[in-house]
Amino acid sequence: MLIPHPLLGPRDAQEFTYLGDARLIDRPDPSAPDAEAAFCDYVFLRDNPAGVHRELWFHEQGDRSWLVVTRDTVTHEVLGAELARNVALSRTRCGK
Amino acid sequence: MSELIPITALGAALPRLASFGALEIRENVGLALASLALRRGTIGPRPFGLTLPGPGRWIAGQGVAALWTGPDQWMIEYEGRADLGFAAELKQFAAGCSVTEQTDGWVAFEIVLRAGSRPLEALLSKLINIDLADFGPGRARRTGIEHMSCFVIRRSEAHVAVLGARSSAASLWHALETAAKRLERK
Repeated sequence: MLIPHPLLGPRDAQEFTYLGDARLIDRPDPSAPDAEAAFCDYVFLRDNPAGVHRELWFHEQGDRSWLVVTRDTVTHEVLGAELARNVALSRTRCGK
Repeated sequence: MSELIPITALGAALPRLASFGALEIRENVGLALASLALRRGTIGPRPFGLTLPGPGRWIAGQGVAALWTGPDQWMIEYEGRADLGFAAELKQFAAGCSVTEQTDGWVAFEIVLRAGSRPLEALLSKLINIDLADFGPGRARRTGIEHMSCFVIRRSEAHVAVLGARSSAASLWHALETAAKRLERK
């Protein structure tokens, strides 16, 4: 499986390690009144879709950046990859 | 006071050198290394007059060179200064940046081809999972060689350097030696 690294081009998936659902970027606000319930969902509840999934991959044997990879879990087709840093920064800018 | 005698990453008094047909592999004990990372808001420095390269690239000046290691991060090499506290020297060119001495964390193997060009490409295609069509002079990649994370630098058409963790220097040498020997037999 090749992962299209946004900076380095296509790289073998062997160079990467997998973390999981990209929604881990959206950490709940610990000072919110419903923080306990929100963290319970954040830590324990994941969707497990058969189809398109956004997930976090770490380029461990490479430039050591985190990527958000969009992958079809049924066909293993990789539909795109972006730097997790840019994803997180664009969310901060949107005020989320 | 006891007399301390420095040894190389491979545990010997002198750097190892071996030839396999037209290929020569040399342990480079003189190479000084330091990492350079920008902090938020710092402007790109020009250490020793070098223009820091973009993703996947390596650039060389007079004895000094830089390779891209990650977003806003580089490794700076200086030939022959391994025992001179290179990071402090680099820091003078990089105000506000994070500079870390790396020299003794790594082992450097220089692979030089004395004739032709095919054996070097053949060796690389055995060792690394990188598209060689896009790995001409001036390119550098971090990748895995037999599960060891290494930097591979194409210094010129006939010269490749491999930087690996010093603690696994012997395993890395074994990997390079085995691949080179198999090519020699062909």
